[in-house]
Amino acid sequence: MARLWRWLREDVWEIRFRRYMALLLAAVVVAAAVWTGLVMTRVDHSCAPGVSHPEGSDDCVGVSATAYDFGRSRFTATVRAIDRENHRLKPGSYVTVALFLPFTASAPATLNDIQHQLQGAYLAQYQANHDTNDQSPAIRLVLANPGADGAHWQTVVDRLDAMAKGPDTLRAVTGIGQSTDSNKKALRALTRLGIPVIGTSITADDLANGQGGKDPYPGLARVSPTNTDEARALASFAQVSGGQALLVYDKPGDPYTRTLQDSFEKLLSGSRIAPQSFTPPADRTLDGTTGNQFRQIASVVCDTPKTVNTILFAGRHTQLRQLVNALGDRGCTDRRLTVLTGDEGSYLTGDTKLEPRALTRNLSVRYTALAHPDAWRKETAATGGGAADAKTLDDLITRSKGEPVGPIGQVALQDGQLIISYDAMRLAVQGLREATPNGRAVPPLAEVVNEWSFVKGSHRVNGASGWICLDGHGNPYDKAVPVVELTPSGGSRFVRIAWPEGKPPAKECLPPA
Amino acid sequence: MHRSLHGRGPLFDTDPPGLAARLVGARPYQLRSSPYEHQDDLPFVVFAGGRGLGKSALLAEIRTAYQGHTPVALIDGEEAQFAGPPANRPRAAWSPVAHALTTVAEQLAEPVKGAGRISFPRLASGLLAVAAGGWSDRNVARIRQEAERILLLNDSRSFLDGLAGRWVSKVIAKLVASLSNAGPVVEPIIEATLEAFSEGVSPTHRRLRRAATWFRDYPNAGGNPKLGLILLSGHFRAGGDSRTHAERFLVRALLADLDDAYAGVMQRSHRLGRPVVLIDNVQAPAGRGLMEAVLRDRADGLGDQVVFFSALRGYALPALRHAVRRTLAEVARTTGWEPGSSPSSRALLVSLPPLTPDDTLHIVGALCRGLDVPPQLPHATHRLTGGSPLGITLLGESARQNLPGGAESLGALLTGDVALHADHDGRPAYRELLDRLVPDGRLDELTVLAAAHDRDSALALAEDRLPDDFGAAGVLGLQERLTEEGWPTADGQFVGDPFLRALLLLRLHHLDADHAQWKAVHRAVIDHYGGRDTTDAARYRLHHELALGNADLAVEHLRDTFPGTEVGAWLRSLVFIASAPYYHAHDPEGHDDSDGHDHRAAVALGRTDPAQRPPEGVDAALHLRVRRLLHAVWQLTDPLVLPDPEVAERLRFELEQLSNLRPGGTALLWRASRDWPSDALAGRPLRIPGDDGDGDGSQG
Repeated sequence: MARLWRWLREDVWEIRFRRYMALLLAAVVVAAAVWTGLVMTRVDHSCAPGVSHPEGSDDCVGVSATAYDFGRSRFTATVRAIDRENHRLKPGSYVTVALFLPFTASAPATLNDIQHQLQGAYLAQYQANHDTNDQSPAIRLVLANPGADGAHWQTVVDRLDAMAKGPDTLRAVTGIGQSTDSNKKALRALTRLGIPVIGTSITADDLANGQGGKDPYPGLARVSPTNTDEARALASFAQVSGGQALLVYDKPGDPYTRTLQDSFEKLLSGSRIAPQSFTPPADRTLDGTTGNQFRQIASVVCDTPKTVNTILFAGRHTQLRQLVNALGDRGCTDRRLTVLTGDEGSYLTGDTKLEPRALTRNLSVRYTALAHPDAWRKETAATGGGAADAKTLDDLITRSKGEPVGPIGQVALQDGQLIISYDAMRLAVQGLREATPNGRAVPPLAEVVNEWSFVKGSHRVNGASGWICLDGHGNPYDKAVPVVELTPSGGSRFVRIAWPEGKPPAKECLPPA
Repeated sequence: MHRSLHGRGPLFDTDPPGLAARLVGARPYQLRSSPYEHQDDLPFVVFAGGRGLGKSALLAEIRTAYQGHTPVALIDGEEAQFAGPPANRPRAAWSPVAHALTTVAEQLAEPVKGAGRISFPRLASGLLAVAAGGWSDRNVARIRQEAERILLLNDSRSFLDGLAGRWVSKVIAKLVASLSNAGPVVEPIIEATLEAFSEGVSPTHRRLRRAATWFRDYPNAGGNPKLGLILLSGHFRAGGDSRTHAERFLVRALLADLDDAYAGVMQRSHRLGRPVVLIDNVQAPAGRGLMEAVLRDRADGLGDQVVFFSALRGYALPALRHAVRRTLAEVARTTGWEPGSSPSSRALLVSLPPLTPDDTLHIVGALCRGLDVPPQLPHATHRLTGGSPLGITLLGESARQNLPGGAESLGALLTGDVALHADHDGRPAYRELLDRLVPDGRLDELTVLAAAHDRDSALALAEDRLPDDFGAAGVLGLQERLTEEGWPTADGQFVGDPFLRALLLLRLHHLDADHAQWKAVHRAVIDHYGGRDTTDAARYRLHHELALGNADLAVEHLRDTFPGTEVGAWLRSLVFIASAPYYHAHDPEGHDDSDGHDHRAAVALGRTDPAQRPPEGVDAALHLRVRRLLHAVWQLTDPLVLPDPEVAERLRFELEQLSNLRPGGTALLWRASRDWPSDALAGRPLRIPGDDGDGDGSQG
């Protein structure tokens, strides 16, 4: 040490030329160290290109255009396939579509939904870029994650806005999903910025235009029917009269349950049997004490006249499960009963608290689904959808088991999420391509927004879930609603397609003005 | 730090900086800068002193201290290479100064830490022009050899220049080619040289081109460098003052090249301090010419930033008449030097002091590490040598080699063999010392004359004991030489320096096995003074009788004069007579006889008194007392033996007793009884109480 010091002091410092060189070198080293330090600390904040930890959170939020899987290995295969597809595209020849979903969610059910939507969106992207005679523009798919609870939507919206204005040429956002506050705000912000949005599994009425004559989300298109349409379809499916059915409804209810309740009440107008209400906890995902109420309701059911064979349920899935479990223990198991409800019923397929034996005691649970793989297999209506359209997707899925399409990981169609996401993406592709003026590679944003009102008639989208003909507010008109039945094994069985209008749309598929 | 020289702190100190650090601007032994004392005008430092004062060692140490840190060159003016031209080289084209410049430049060129080689294009072209004056087309091999040595001074050995050797051989080929036609050679050589310097585009060649034009400022050259070089060559060949003039220009060329190496921010930033030129024996022609040229140029306002340290044998030189004189201790913190108008005032003459007893202690201690050194040896060594670094070092070395063999006295150390190099046979130390102190002949004559006390006795001795052709002129010449070489003079001694005298007398004693010469020389001196009847003559006579072993005459004289003489004068006589050399019998090889023990102590302690028979009619007690006193002083003041504490104690007693016998001189005798024993044991000369000063005559 002393020798080093002496060397520095005498052989370097005293000879001015060496001193200056040493100082210069030291400055360079320090600068390099500082730069490296800055880069290192920045890497600490970043999860992947475009994706980073927000202040005070270890969530990975942002828009990913790479093969980053948000730390969820179930996405890895699909994300790689998307990245491969994106890399194939030549700059300037594509438009970007963002899939807006909470990719970092932790609930397995939610992750399943997201995985399936991701697969559906990718398959539609692949199809658009490969199977449609080289139509332009090509589609680039990026993943937008507003965080597990959607809290960082603003960050993501800002980024998407920048991408819309920049060389990424972002022209549409698909996904969105559940009707949460954050999603509503994000949707409002995106549509205000003029970015077209295609909702996949949104069914809530308040995430739609045209409700009460207002269009709060200009540029929003949906591929799932509204709750109202679902309730109407369900009612047309049930074909029950006042003396055959008992209405059980959530009181005070939320927009979803009230929509169902209204539709059911119209169906049962003039019934002599009084509807039964229950009051769930404020958080309807909790069990609470409602189990007792449903035991009483079960005994009420047994007291009703023998003609009553249907229970119309306007409530959420936790309460539905409690009702089903209570009905399993009812006194009058010799009476055959059917519970009819909306798409909340689909949650029971994976619910471990459901007692499977309840379904073996002359009790069936039927509900509407967003889409079902078997919908077009058995029963083919002339209009409103077709087996050929479903088969296109089936073929694509078969091809996706290996290169060049896949692999994209385990595929499951039962929950309909893949199908609906695929259809949403197809709707987006069609809108984007129709809006592209001749001679231009990329459509202007405003043209895409206006395009939704033309998706009808011969310009409809023949989705795998059925025809998609949009009305003036971007909602699908007379969309096929598959009714499925819960099986004792925890799965679901397709029953029949129901139609909001009571019958399939006409061949022209033109919504009434 | 690592200091190998003792007593030279004022020169080598670092904190606060000593003379070297202040002039060079860098600490000795360290690569650390140090503040300058003189910014623009530098003193030309001349270390002055006689032989054996360590001047050469000092310069060598300065070189060691700065080697590798700043350019250093060391030449010795008395080296054989500067004495005359090599065989087959005409005198017209060679001078000690020109050769010294070549040697200095070659040493300064060596790369130092942080900077590369220095090249000397100006000096090289000048030297080439001078050398060409001795060339003809007959001896091409010699021309090649001389030209190569000079041209290599240009060689910076930078990788930018490619293989420098190639450039040199190219130029030599060109020079040789220009010789082919008969006739004058100087002009074509100069032409070819300038032409060679003007080619090439590398930075080095640009420097060469600039340097080639330097000689256009030569007087009467009219701005033409070629003419300048021709004139330089002519002046050099002409000899005399013209040559001195030419040499001055060559020196100036060397300094200009050095300045060039330190010019510019970039070059300076590679270097620390100033370049150092060390000239030993500056009184010899090579050194003197160099020094005079530098002093004159500096006085003329042609400044340079080269630090010169030189060593002068003796203390005076005509060229240094107005030099500022200082002792080494005076320049420890500041020189106080201000240049005057004359060239010689540009010099700073620093006289080197002898070493102190403490330095002696340290040197002997360092040399004899691990040996059982008699406690009085270091002080006795200092008393014998008078602080001469050479004497102390050689005696210390002899002690290291001979103490284990049983040598005890300094006399034994001087006669004992000492081997200075591991592969050399040993020689008696006194001969080694004399070889260095009196190297240039006339040692035999000086050995005889060492017994003389003044010019008269020296002349008498020369007449009696030396060959006829030596004569009076030889005596006077020797006396002058002693003065020139810086040997001190002393009243009552032909050879003033006690150490040198002791060595010479020792040599005289050992000249032949039966000491015939020794006896004859002393007898001759006694005879010389025998005819005179003065007090001094009596003292000299008795001194030499005592040297021959006849103590009785001295005892008689001192006993008889004690009552009637003034006590101070009597004591002075006692000390002088007792300063006689005491050389007892030795074997034929010159070594001390093994049983030849020193009998003086026995006499001084009264052990021989019973056998003594004082002459009839004298005070027997006083006789014996004076006899004991004489032997005590003789023993205690003999520089070749260690003082005996028992004898010193007896001396005190005897002087006390004497003080009772002289009521008028009690105080003086009493004082002497107190001072002398301690002075003798400490190796100090005995002082006569009441005398001021040291009393020179009492030393030997």
